[in-house]
Amino acid sequence: MSANIRPSGVFNTTYAQDMMLDRTWSNRLSAWGFVLLLLVLPMLSTDGLLGLDIIPPLWISVIAKIAIFAIAAQGLNIIMGYTGQISLGHAAFMAVGAYTAGVLVRELGFTFWTALPVTMLFTGVVGLIFGLPSLRVKGFYLAMATLAAQNIIIWIITYPLAPWTGGANAITLENHPIPFFGSTATKTGMYYIIIPFAVLSFLVARNLIRTRTGRAFISIRDNDLAAELLGINVFTYKLQAFFISSMYAGLAGALFAFNKQSVQTTDFSLALSIELVAMLVIGGAGFSLGPLFGASFILIVNQVIVPDIQPALTDFFSRLFTFVPAVQISTAFPPLMFGLILALFLVLLPRGIAYQWEILKISWKIRPYSY
Amino acid sequence: MALAANTLPQGRRIKLPTMNWQRISRWATIIGTFIFVLWLGDRIGDNPRNYAVVTINGILIGGIYAIIAVGIVMINKASGVFNFAHGAMMLLTAWFFLSFYNTDNFNIVAVSIFVAVTVILFIAMSDWRDLMKPQRLVMGLVAGIIIVFMMTIGGDEWRLIRAIVGSMTMATLLGLSIERFAIRPLMGQPVFTMILMTLALDRIFVGLTNFFFPSIDTSIPILSDLSNLNIPKTYEFDVVNIIPQIDRALRIPSDSVVVFILASLAFTAFILFFQYTNVGLSMRATAENQVLAQSVGLRVRAILAIAWVAATLLALTAGVLFGGGNSLGPTMPSLALIVFPAVLLGGIESIGGAFVGGIVIGLGQTWGDQLFQSEAGTQLVPYVILMIVLIFKPDGLFGQKRIERI
Repeated sequence: MSANIRPSGVFNTTYAQDMMLDRTWSNRLSAWGFVLLLLVLPMLSTDGLLGLDIIPPLWISVIAKIAIFAIAAQGLNIIMGYTGQISLGHAAFMAVGAYTAGVLVRELGFTFWTALPVTMLFTGVVGLIFGLPSLRVKGFYLAMATLAAQNIIIWIITYPLAPWTGGANAITLENHPIPFFGSTATKTGMYYIIIPFAVLSFLVARNLIRTRTGRAFISIRDNDLAAELLGINVFTYKLQAFFISSMYAGLAGALFAFNKQSVQTTDFSLALSIELVAMLVIGGAGFSLGPLFGASFILIVNQVIVPDIQPALTDFFSRLFTFVPAVQISTAFPPLMFGLILALFLVLLPRGIAYQWEILKISWKIRPYSY
Repeated sequence: MALAANTLPQGRRIKLPTMNWQRISRWATIIGTFIFVLWLGDRIGDNPRNYAVVTINGILIGGIYAIIAVGIVMINKASGVFNFAHGAMMLLTAWFFLSFYNTDNFNIVAVSIFVAVTVILFIAMSDWRDLMKPQRLVMGLVAGIIIVFMMTIGGDEWRLIRAIVGSMTMATLLGLSIERFAIRPLMGQPVFTMILMTLALDRIFVGLTNFFFPSIDTSIPILSDLSNLNIPKTYEFDVVNIIPQIDRALRIPSDSVVVFILASLAFTAFILFFQYTNVGLSMRATAENQVLAQSVGLRVRAILAIAWVAATLLALTAGVLFGGGNSLGPTMPSLALIVFPAVLLGGIESIGGAFVGGIVIGLGQTWGDQLFQSEAGTQLVPYVILMIVLIFKPDGLFGQKRIERI
């Protein structure tokens, strides 16, 4: 949308300029500046090399989590935001990624770096299998199929594969550190592994949408009948979308496993699937920056804001409702806040934060005229 | 004459008895699957008596699934969405029932406020201006006074009545507020947004339940007085003469039988209501085409509100029956997810299909638990059935055939 709007006076004179991802120097500067800022941040915390105490360590772990979930949400964006197929089983694909990476490293002697491509491919294939119902169904029938995928995958991991995956118990990866520049990765080192992967996956997604495949995805979302009449093989492209989206989920799952250094099925429940969908909706489905905004919003609310305001709110509500024990009140907040935020976004900003961001950018570019 | 036979005078649906291949093949599928699974169980099942008990339990639990399924079908018929919040609605309303059942003196001011809000929302179902009509106000006032009076009668023998009236009022309030504050602002948005709204509602109701009620496993003691009615604790069936492999008598707990009978009664009542009343007919018309229904003078918004109230009441029924027969606890919302396969299997338009689907899922669940152990019944079998239905027969067994590829 905003890619078409340039500040006045900027003209494309070569094809190379026409195909640039970031057309103006301010775009490039802000993008690379943002990445650079992310890479500098751990240096300023107590865990960093400089030993400064400017950034709290909590921020660093929250940013790493945001990056992981932004990768997963970007995968969901490809299948849901661009191709328009609802998926409620994305957390299960993350689980496939996490367990595949874990089992490859623990049982089969892979390292993290060799396990990662295998994991992504395998998760993609699993995604293909559960994308097969999209041949027959769409809309929320497909949502049902992916809901089935969520439950079936978690069941298969928990029971038939229990000798490898440990069943309902967590498997630990603490004894299998990641080789990283001659030594092994520490907590900060893990941050420097996650962030480049996140940046790379965002770049891949942004470029994918500009290709023939990406345009086919968007045409399927907008009108699948018309897409078919234009000669697009709807089923093949849907399966491709499932494959790519599951690969993103596999990458995110593997990173999640190694970041947490343990894998457990309860981490990848239906609630996480719903949370990923909520991230996409809050961030803005169909915008390449949407997953970043959504993951940041949800995780900052969940990990930073809710723990901060929970005591005050619990105190307030236990005075208001004297007959309710305070323990119940504090356990009620996370789902209640999540549901209220999602509902408010659906009613007030159904296109998400990214849409408002685009409007902001356009109105800056065409100032002093109004948007 | 054919036209006259097919039109719908006074809300009655005339079924023409036809016996075509489609119908035959449908029933053949159902019966064939049933026989196949029986055969499978005979092969794998360790003990025929266990197997028979499991089968009967599956059918009995299927009654509750049918009630849940019809609630989901109701919302789907009216709003065109699958209600993911149904399980959380069951949990919340069942807790309302239990807390009303256990309380014996109510604060009359609080009761009056809740009843007044419910009555006001009910009157203003389609338009706030309806509050100006004196006729409706008087009717609402009378209804409200009756409810408040029933809630404030003392005595232990009235506790069931108080619980029923109070929880129905709260369920009505819940349904009306869902429709007005969550669903109506989304009118005209894509279906996807509505689905997400029900997911958000699910989280909100889980949060509200955590807020007001303890997150423990408990049970609703409505069936504990059965022994006063000369109903034994378990029914025993001696079937040695019929099936010689079963040497001992089958023991079926009577409370699940009672729950099944109550569920079937509630189910029948809802079916009759929606087949033979004007509201039911208008709801079918609304589901068909909202704009057209509005243009022939149906009050579409009021009909949507009634659908949500009906669904909440069904959730209350299902929650109370399940809480009475089994348990009331934080795992209840996952029960509604198991029922989605039942809804799709029956065909989403069909209320009768919901019953068949509920029974099939109940059977599948108990058989799965018996054959595979390891929670297969709750986590695997319903979803495998769902996948099979979606791939091979997306319309379901009794659903309408669509021309387009859905």
